[in-house]
Amino acid sequence: MLLDHYDTEDLFDEMFAGNGEVRPHYQLMRERLDTLSKAELDQKIRNLETLFLKQGITFTVYGDQQGTERVFPFDPIPRIIPAEEWQVVEDGLVQRITALNLFLYDVYHEQKILKDKVIPEEVVLSAAHYRPEFKDVDVPRDIYIHICGTDLIRDRDGSYLVLEDNGRCPSGVSYVLENRMAMKRVFPHLFGSAGVRSVDSYAADLLGTLQYIAPHGKMDPVCVLLTPGHYNSAYFEHSFLARQMGIEIVEGKDLIVVGAHVYMRTTRGLQQVDVIYRRLDDDFLDPKVFRADSMLGVPGLVSAVRAGNVALANAIGTGVADDKVTYAYVDKMIKYYLDQDPILQQVPTYLAWDEKDRGYILDHLSELVVKAANESGGYGMLIGPRASRAEIETFRGLILANPRNYIAQPVVYFSRHPTLTEGSVEGRHVDLRPFVLSGERTHILPGGLTRVALKKGSIVVNSSQGGGSKDTWVLHPS
Amino acid sequence: MERAENLARLLQASNELLLDGETMGSRSLNDYWDPVLVATAMEDQFGQLYPQGTVADVGYFMTLDERNPDAITMCLRQARENARTVRDQISDEMWTELNDLYLFIAEAGTLRLFQMSPQSVYDRIISGSLLFHGITDATLARTEGWQFIQLGKHLERADKTSRFLDIRVHAAPTGKALDSFQWTSILRSASAINTYRAEVGGEPGAEGVIDLLMFSTDFPRSVRYCVRQMDAHLHAISGTVLGSYGNSAERLAGRLLARLNFGSSEEVLEQGLQEYTDDLQSVLNELGQRIHETYVLLPQDQQSVIFLPSVDSQQRRWVELQQQQQQQ
Repeated sequence: MLLDHYDTEDLFDEMFAGNGEVRPHYQLMRERLDTLSKAELDQKIRNLETLFLKQGITFTVYGDQQGTERVFPFDPIPRIIPAEEWQVVEDGLVQRITALNLFLYDVYHEQKILKDKVIPEEVVLSAAHYRPEFKDVDVPRDIYIHICGTDLIRDRDGSYLVLEDNGRCPSGVSYVLENRMAMKRVFPHLFGSAGVRSVDSYAADLLGTLQYIAPHGKMDPVCVLLTPGHYNSAYFEHSFLARQMGIEIVEGKDLIVVGAHVYMRTTRGLQQVDVIYRRLDDDFLDPKVFRADSMLGVPGLVSAVRAGNVALANAIGTGVADDKVTYAYVDKMIKYYLDQDPILQQVPTYLAWDEKDRGYILDHLSELVVKAANESGGYGMLIGPRASRAEIETFRGLILANPRNYIAQPVVYFSRHPTLTEGSVEGRHVDLRPFVLSGERTHILPGGLTRVALKKGSIVVNSSQGGGSKDTWVLHPS
Repeated sequence: MERAENLARLLQASNELLLDGETMGSRSLNDYWDPVLVATAMEDQFGQLYPQGTVADVGYFMTLDERNPDAITMCLRQARENARTVRDQISDEMWTELNDLYLFIAEAGTLRLFQMSPQSVYDRIISGSLLFHGITDATLARTEGWQFIQLGKHLERADKTSRFLDIRVHAAPTGKALDSFQWTSILRSASAINTYRAEVGGEPGAEGVIDLLMFSTDFPRSVRYCVRQMDAHLHAISGTVLGSYGNSAERLAGRLLARLNFGSSEEVLEQGLQEYTDDLQSVLNELGQRIHETYVLLPQDQQSVIFLPSVDSQQRRWVELQQQQQQQ
C-alpha cells in the first residue's frame, strides 16, 4: 500500500498523528487510496494533466521569451479539514477582515488608531501603498477589502497561524474551483459519502458582493472585471471568473470616463459601468493620478471613484493593510476596534524599522526569514537557514539601506501533507489560502487553495517557485 | 457587451484556422508548392531559410516551421491566443476544440507523424477546423459575437476561394491553358469537386470552375455566396435594411455583391482571370479594412492608430511588461 512506509519525521502532519496513526477524518480517504495501485494513480494523474491542459488551465511564466504556459502542478491527495476545525478558522477570518476594514476606514478618515498611538503613525503613513489622495473619500458601504485571500499555515502543534493578508488582488480561487471539478471527474470514488462541502457558490457570492457595493444602492448594476491583459499570469483566472459571473471582462482601453462617470465601449455605443472588479494594481489604474506611464489604466477613473459614481473592488489604498509591517499590528487592531482577543494567531514578526528589532534581525539573519514589505509571489525573500553567505550579505545591505521595507520572522516548519512523488508518497509542506468575501455578509469559501511545496524539504509554495496545489475538503458537521 | 477589438481578433482566429485547413489540405501535385509560396509572398523567406529547398522543406516550412509567421502552427497559436482573450464570449466547447487542435500541432509527436504522413496531419487540421465551425454553429448564441465570427469566416472564404483560382493562374498565366488536371486540383482545394460533378459534370474546365467557385448562388464556398452572407451579417449587426447602407463597409459589400450577382465566366475570361481575381482581392481587402475601421478602432484611434499590428515592438513590449504585474 502506498502509505505503508510514510514517515512523518516528527513534523506536524495533516493526515497522520504519528507514524502509522491516521487521523480520524482521514480514515475513509486512507481506505480508498489503498484500493489504488501506484500505476493506477499515475494513470489518473496523467488524465488530470490532460484535463487541465485541454481546458487551458495554465499560468504564464514570466521572463521566458516564449511566454511559456504551464499547468499548475496538482497533487491528487486531497487535504481534509473537519468541521469543528474549520469553524475556528472561519470565525478567526471573519474577525480579522472586520478589523482590517475598520482599520482602513479609520486610516482614510479620522486616524483615531494613530492618534491613540496604538499603531505608530510613521508605519502607516510611510507604507508604499498608503494613498493620501483617498483621505476623507467615502467608499460604498464603508467596505475597503471585498475580496481577501489570507494565507494560513499550521504550526508544529497544529494551530493555524496567519502568514499574510492579501488584500489587494489575491488570486488562486479559480484553481480551487477547477481542482474540485477535475477531482470529481478523475477520482469520483474518493468523494462518495465523505461529506465534502461544495465550493460552487463562490462566483454567485462574488457577484452578490460586487452588486452590494453599487453606488447609490443602484438595482441591477453593471459590473465588469478589469484585467491588466492577456499577458498577465492570472489571465486565465480573470476570464474564468468573468465567465462564471456572466459579466464582461475589460481592459483599460475598453473603458472611458465622461463627466466623472465610467462607460464601457460597445458596438452600440457607451454603457455606464457601476462596479469594477479590478485585478490591476492601484499604480496602474489611472495615469492621470498614479503612474503616468500606465498603458493599462483608464484616465479619469479616480475622479469617477471620488465622485462616488463607480465602485472599485477592492477599494484603492487597501495595500496599507496588507503591508508586512502593518501585519505586525493586526492583533492590536482587533483589540482596539473589536475589543476581542484574536482567534487566529500570527507569526512573530521583527520590524527592521524598529531599532531594537533591527539589531536582532541583523544578528540572526541566518536563522530568520526576511521579507520585503510589499512583495508577493515569493519574490524578495530570504530564507536564512537555506541562504548562502553572499545572499545573507546582500540582504544585510538591503535592510540597512531601507529598513522600513523589511521584516523578519522565525522559520516556521509548517505542516506537511502526504503528497505523491516520483516513487511513492512523501510529506510535503502545505499552506492554505481561504477566500473571504465581504459584502452584505461575510462569505468564506469552504476550504480555499491548499498550496504545496513540491520540492523535498522546501517551504516555498508559490507557483512561480515550484509550488503545486491540492483540492481542499471541508467536511460537513457529522 | 461586445468588445469590438476582441471580436475582431476572434474573427481572425476563425479565419486563420480556415485558411490553413484549406490551403494546405488538399495538395495533390508537387508543383503546387511553388505557386503557394508565391501567392503567400513567402518565397523570399523560404529561399533564405532553405537555400536548397526541397518539396519536403516547403511542406515543413508552411506547416510546422515556427520561423514562418504564416505557418499553420503559428496561425493556430495566434488563433488560440486570440480565443483565450475572448473566452468569456465563446462557448467552452469552442475553446476546448481550438485548444485541442493547437496542442495536437504543438506536440512533439506531430513532427514525426508529419514526416511519415503529412496528409494525416492535414486531415486532422481540416477536421478540427470544420468541427470548430460546427461547434460554433451548435453552441454559440446568435449574438453580435456570432455575427462577427460569420462575417470573418465568409470574408476569409471568399478571399481563399479567389486565391485558389489565382494560385493556378500564377502557374500558367493564360487562364485557358490550364489542363483539366489543374482545374481538378483547384476544385479539390475548395472542397468543390463533388459539387462540380453533381452540378456541372464532365471534365473540369475554365468556364465551369469559374461559374461554380465565383458565381454559384448555393455552393457555400463560392465568392458570391460568401459575399451575400457578409452583406447579410453586416446588416444584421447594424440593423440597417438590406439594399441600403449605413456605413462604408455595407456600401462596399453591397456593391461587390451586385457585381457578382450579375457577373459571368465569359466576363471574367474576357478581362483575364488573373486581373479579375487581383481586383476582387483588393476589394475584399478594402472591405476587411472598412469593417475594422467601423467596428474595431476606437474613435480617437482613427486619427492616430495605436494598437494596430504595426505598433512598434518596444511599445508592445512595454504594455506586455505592465500587464505582467505580479498578482498576490
